[in-house]
Amino acid sequence: MKRRTFTKAAVLGTAGILTGGLPAMAQQEKFGTKEEIAAAEKEGGLTYYTANFAETEQEVIKEFNKTFPKIKVAMVRAPGGQLITRIKTEAAAGKLGADVVNHSDRGLMLELQDLFADYKPPNAADYRPDALVSPKLWPGVTLGWAIAYNTQLVKNAPKTWMDLTKPEFKGKQIGQVVGPSGGTTWTRIMFERQVLGEDYWQKQAALGIALYPSGAPTSDALVRGEISIAPLLYNIIYTKIVEGAPAEAIFAPEGVPIIPYADGVTKTAKSPNASKLFMNWRLSKEGQSFQIAKLGNITSLKDPPSFPKGWDPKVVKVWVPNFEQFEKLREPWLNEWNKTYGYRQ
Amino acid sequence: MTATSAEALPAAREATDAPRRLAAPLWVGALLIVLAFLVIYPLLMLVFGALSDSNPIVDGFGAFRPSAKHFFDVLANENVHLAFFNALAACGGGTILAVVIGLAFSWIVVRTNTPFKGFIAGASMIPLFVPPLVAGVAWGILGSPKTGLLNTSLKWIGIDFRFDFYSMSGLIVVFGIYYAPYVYMFTASALRNMDPSLEEASEVAGASAFTTIFTVTFPLIAPAILAGSLLSFVVMLGIYGVPAALGAPANINVLTTYIFKLTAWSPPLYNTAAAVAILLMVVTAILVWAQQRVLSGKSYATVAGKAFRPRSLNLGPWRWFTFSLALVYLFVVVVLPTLALVIAAFRKFLFFRDFNALFDWKQYSWVHFESVFDNPLTLLSIWNTLKVGVITAVVGGALAFAIGYTVNRTTVSGRRSIDLLATLPVAIPGLVVGVAYLWAWIGLPGGLYGTIWILALAFVARFMPDTVKALSTSFLQIHKELEEAAWICGRGLLGTIRTVVLPLAKPGVVASMTLLFVLAIRELGSSLFLYTSDTTVMAVLLLDYYEGGNVGKTAAFSLVQTVILGVLLGLTTWISRETTQNTRFN
Repeated sequence: MKRRTFTKAAVLGTAGILTGGLPAMAQQEKFGTKEEIAAAEKEGGLTYYTANFAETEQEVIKEFNKTFPKIKVAMVRAPGGQLITRIKTEAAAGKLGADVVNHSDRGLMLELQDLFADYKPPNAADYRPDALVSPKLWPGVTLGWAIAYNTQLVKNAPKTWMDLTKPEFKGKQIGQVVGPSGGTTWTRIMFERQVLGEDYWQKQAALGIALYPSGAPTSDALVRGEISIAPLLYNIIYTKIVEGAPAEAIFAPEGVPIIPYADGVTKTAKSPNASKLFMNWRLSKEGQSFQIAKLGNITSLKDPPSFPKGWDPKVVKVWVPNFEQFEKLREPWLNEWNKTYGYRQ
Repeated sequence: MTATSAEALPAAREATDAPRRLAAPLWVGALLIVLAFLVIYPLLMLVFGALSDSNPIVDGFGAFRPSAKHFFDVLANENVHLAFFNALAACGGGTILAVVIGLAFSWIVVRTNTPFKGFIAGASMIPLFVPPLVAGVAWGILGSPKTGLLNTSLKWIGIDFRFDFYSMSGLIVVFGIYYAPYVYMFTASALRNMDPSLEEASEVAGASAFTTIFTVTFPLIAPAILAGSLLSFVVMLGIYGVPAALGAPANINVLTTYIFKLTAWSPPLYNTAAAVAILLMVVTAILVWAQQRVLSGKSYATVAGKAFRPRSLNLGPWRWFTFSLALVYLFVVVVLPTLALVIAAFRKFLFFRDFNALFDWKQYSWVHFESVFDNPLTLLSIWNTLKVGVITAVVGGALAFAIGYTVNRTTVSGRRSIDLLATLPVAIPGLVVGVAYLWAWIGLPGGLYGTIWILALAFVARFMPDTVKALSTSFLQIHKELEEAAWICGRGLLGTIRTVVLPLAKPGVVASMTLLFVLAIRELGSSLFLYTSDTTVMAVLLLDYYEGGNVGKTAAFSLVQTVILGVLLGLTTWISRETTQNTRFN
């Protein structure tokens, strides 16, 4: 390379760093101090255990890496119950691989809180107190229930939860996830009984409901036209709607049951600085906005930075289960639900 | 066997008696230690789990609180009874169908002059490569009563009949056609190795070809038929994907879907799942015992010292009938579900308003494949899977050969225990065995946990019964006189194995290793607990896609998996054919 060309390139390069690099650095410093960021970058990466959908979490990691390209996030994903067993066993054997854990079942995570380090995001005060179960665990992800329907099959689209008890939807037009499938569904059916009425289940079950083991096959059945309507976590159907599936989803005015996750940094984290930075970013306004806009999540921030499409904050109310009741009522109510819907457990 | 060889044998043995006397117990001891590590230790963990409320690693063995509560809970639960009978009905029906299809098919391919046999043989194995979850999804796409492609087509043609694969009969049909290759593998290998002089004798005595098949051919390969049907039955008992995809919409539970629920619930009930798993093991143990009772005291040696070539029955014009039968079978088993997967993989969404919507080409694209290959985990999982598959096939193949030979070709004491231990893992459903391995091996010193090797070891242990049984059939067919001839000629035991047994059992060995490779690549249950971010495998990624509700990506990724398996299996078939020919004719 000729000296002049080299000098020109060096000047241009420096200018690039100065113009493009500075805002990037400023961007980074929203989520941690210079020292914390330097320490995190020195660690170079972290291991992230999640019970959420792998693809969704990959999007989160990709977005995080736009701000922190030097921190690699390795993900281990397993279904909820299996992930908990793995964490417990690894921790007992002194081989817990996770730096950060992301899990939807707050009750189970609460039992494991001793495995987690003290951690608080910079914007801790902005979070709803009822979304927290432990000062160590934070709702990095919050999901909400919507009513989804196949636009090619449904003429009179449902607008409220009560519409899902109308006789016109009888004969397995409505599908839903079985009650005992996990904490997210239990939140919804608890909402149905406490908010929509003691007889809501009976009225709906009388229509004949198609039952599915989890949200994924339910959303798939809805898109394929096996069923016409289904209560679904908004994030499961949202990405399909964006991609052009013949489906739509609404938030009902009676309330949107939400599921705040319980995420934390483990005490044994090999990369504690990178882990904190990752958590800070996910819990920040930016991280939450990204998840709302791109993934169809909701947020547990008191003052949401944005709303999903069709969410009118004047009309739609968020419903968070009382955690004590969430634990206490679970078994007896689920037994009743199983009987009402004819689900053999 | 000739009188000469029988008399000569003790004399030949005299010379090597002393070292052999020592070698035999040492050898049996070594095998038992390996099996103890691979089978007994994890099983003890499982029994520990079933008989207590604690996790042996988390709570420690000191916290063992013996309790039969889980067993009583399970035995008293009406839904478990129902799931149990559903499982017996689905797997029993599926096995009968698998035997009919597998046996007919192996006869057509091996013993007739049906045209294009090589192609038919290769294509008929395709269902074996398809993960059960994908098979269930594919048949859901085809046979759903509301939106299934078959029903959409029937409606378009104007036929009123509708298929419903979301039913018990749907489960039986899918089980039957997907596990027929198990029966086929066993019976084809037996038919190929069978001395045709026995059939010729039958025909010389005036029996028709049809009578010969049912009175000579099939009875002679009874061990293979029994082994194949037993294995397919037990494997079906442990399958989750098919009943999850086809049974769940009709609220038909089987034991595996029940166990999956127990492990997936919050909190997960592994101790109860372990109790159900032990019940499954009891059922399997009874079946294995019954099989041994039926086979005991009978000789099934059909490969003797006389050279022969497998004979082909000349069917005349009927060979086109058998050819068309094979084509119909291939169409139903391979073309239809593959077509469903191809449509699912290339179509953005699987909503069809009517039959014509199938041909709306704007709806088709590479988008799911692009998305799958955009995922950095895809290539990593493929590479890891291949590594695990090869290690499992080599280590497991060698171990199975050692076990198979010891059990079937020697009279050393302790061989029955070895056989029993090697058969036990077949009964444990993958999800439960996964947690047993985790409990058993995570505490071991050294860096085993978190490596590819722990996955490979789990697969070797989990699929040992399949491999040993597949090999045993080959061993049963090699007449003892061939080994005795080698001994008389002064060969030692190892020399005899190397020069006589191994070459003769080579088709069986290659088939078993191939089977192991395929099973390892598909295995999900035990992978789920043992993989880490660096050792993720294809089955885990496939579940991620399925659980994410991405039928398109699930189908695209499973097509990628099928193509990789197809290429590799084509390669091993070719290599094995080459080496077999070289062994036979050189």
